[in-house]
Formats: sequence, structure tokens, C-alpha cells
Amino acid sequence: MTEALMISNVLLWIAVLAALVGLFALARQIGVLYERVAPMGALMMDTGPKVGEPSPVFELPNLVGNTRVTIGRPGDKSTLLFFLSPTCPVCKKLLPILRSVNNTEKDWLRVVLTSDGEQPEHLAFYEKADLKEFPYLLSSEPGMAYRVAKLPYAVLLNEQGRIVAKGLVNSREQLESLFTAKELGVASVQEFIDHQHA
Amino acid sequence: MDALDPVLARACGAAVAVVLLTGAWQKLRDLAVFEASVDLYRLLPDSLVPLFARAFPVLEALAGAALLFESTRAIGLLLSVAVLGVATAGVVFNLLRGHTEIDCGCGGAEGHTTLSWALPARNTLLLLIAVLGGQDGSGRDLMWIDYLSVAGGTLALFGLYATANQLMANHPRLIQLRN
Repeated sequence: MTEALMISNVLLWIAVLAALVGLFALARQIGVLYERVAPMGALMMDTGPKVGEPSPVFELPNLVGNTRVTIGRPGDKSTLLFFLSPTCPVCKKLLPILRSVNNTEKDWLRVVLTSDGEQPEHLAFYEKADLKEFPYLLSSEPGMAYRVAKLPYAVLLNEQGRIVAKGLVNSREQLESLFTAKELGVASVQEFIDHQHA
Repeated sequence: MDALDPVLARACGAAVAVVLLTGAWQKLRDLAVFEASVDLYRLLPDSLVPLFARAFPVLEALAGAALLFESTRAIGLLLSVAVLGVATAGVVFNLLRGHTEIDCGCGGAEGHTTLSWALPARNTLLLLIAVLGGQDGSGRDLMWIDYLSVAGGTLALFGLYATANQLMANHPRLIQLRN
């Protein structure tokens, strides 16, 4: 009798834990699903302009001062368009890295920050994080045009205003991979590996 | 009052310890992100943010580790209550002033949980479980199947915690979908 109870106890623990693993996996998958169907009710994993295509053209006012910033027209430098938000911790982590990139790559690269939302909040963020060295666009247009769903996101445009690389950027390595993609003339590291195998 | 059965006490203690240790590990693994999260809570002067962002996960890890051993259990309970109390106070303060659009900073880089009353509710539950886990329990002799119950109970509680966190991270997206 005791033995039977013990065995049933062991079996029940296994069942409970397996059910919990299943529950957790389901919750995760629901999260992924919500993310993919938002906000337009259709799958939009990698929509927006493709790598190689010309960038949509924007001419938007800078957050501070009366200058205007043009994106997507041919120029003498490449442009890194960096999408961020004052409430995103990962974006904040990347700011010092962007600063150093802006310094070391300034011969060929212009870094432009872009975000949307209320101006006072962004002005406070701009002051506090000391972003004077970057043009800062406050408009929902670039985010909509590039279909940015997750932050921090970056788009690299070449001198002709064509998109050479883009993607979600969580670390210095991912940011640098955009530059590598430009140097190698491939859209992503994955594509480069595929080429090597072909 | 009868003393708590040791199986229940040990399972609760170990579950809270695992929660605290994994939390500390996730924060320390990406310290810059946690530091930015602390800053976004807007509760501390700028000069104290880096210090707090380093001290908090270390204390969290110490609390978790101390809860696991009999000799340090009392200190572990005290530290856990302090760590959970500070975190909950920070969340509640921002909820009261309506500053909820920030990342809660509880789950490292993957976490996109914004602030909601679900967080203090979760932490209160954790506090209760920590108090149960801090008890010595009755001196009943344990046999092998008791250890199975402790291990199963610990994993089950941790699984529920992870699931609850995932559902909380999903919630803002669900709200977005409804609008």
C-alpha cells in the first residue's frame, strides 16, 4: 500500500512538473504571437524597405535648434539611423557605444537618433544623456516607414542613400555587424556565411 | 501553533532562493541595462544610481544563498525581506505617481515588463513564501520521499513564478492589440 502511494506520488510530481513546463512554453509562445500580430493584425517580421533598396526620404526638424535633417538623399557620408526611446534601458546602454562610433567613424559616417513621443520628455532625455553631438529627430515617420517594431533598431544607409544593413541592435557586436555588412557588401552575417558555402 | 512541516518550509525557502539567485544573475550579466533601468525609476540621485545598481543584485544573491543553509537562514530571511521590500517600494512609488511606461528591470535584457500592480502582488506572495521558507520547521525525521517533495515543490514554485513573469511581460502587448 505505502509503496503504491509512493510510486503514485513520484508519478504525480513528474506530471505536475511536465505540465508546468508546458504552461511556461505556452505563455512564451503567446508572447511571441502577440508581438507578431501587433499592431496591424498581420504578420510583419521583416517588412519595410529591403536591403539594397533606396531609403524613403525624410526632411525633419532637429529636436533642438532650427536646423533640418535630411535622410535618404545622396550625400558625402553614410548615415546610421538609430531608433531609440527614453524608456528603453538597452538603448541607454548603447549610447556610450554610439558616442564612440560617432567619434571614430566620423570620416565616413553620420549618426542620427530618432524617436517618437512627447517633446518635453525627449528634451529632458536629450539634456540628461547629453546628446548634443547627434542630430535628434522626433517624428513617427521614419519608424513607420521602416516598420520598426522593436527597439533599439538601426538602419545603415550608404552615400547614395541606399539601405546597406538594418536590424535589431542589442550590443556593440550587433552594431558593428552592420558596418561589417557594409564593408563586405552583404545584407547580413548569415548571408555572408551562405555565400561562403555556395 | 504547530511548527511548519519541514518539507513545506524547505521547498518554500529553496524556491525563493532560486528566484533571488536567478534574478541577481540576470542583473549582473547585463549590468549596464540594469543600471539604466534603475535610472529610469527616477528615485535616486544620479550619483547613487551606479552604486545601487551594483549593490542590489549582490545583496539579492547573498539573500538567496543565505536562505539555503541552516546556519544562515535567519540572515537570509532578513536580507530577502529587505531586498524584496526595497524593490516593491520602488515599483509602488512609481505606480502611485503614474510613471508606469518603464521597464521593470526585473528580468535582465529580455524583460519587457512594464510596471503594474501585478508586480507588488507577485512580490507580496514571494515575501510570504520567503517567511515560510525562513522557518526551521518541526523536527520530523525526513525520509527519501520527503526530499523528492522538496525538489518537486521547489521546481513547481519556480515554474509558476517564471510563467507568471512571462504572462506579465505579455500583458502590455495584449493591451496594445485590444486598442
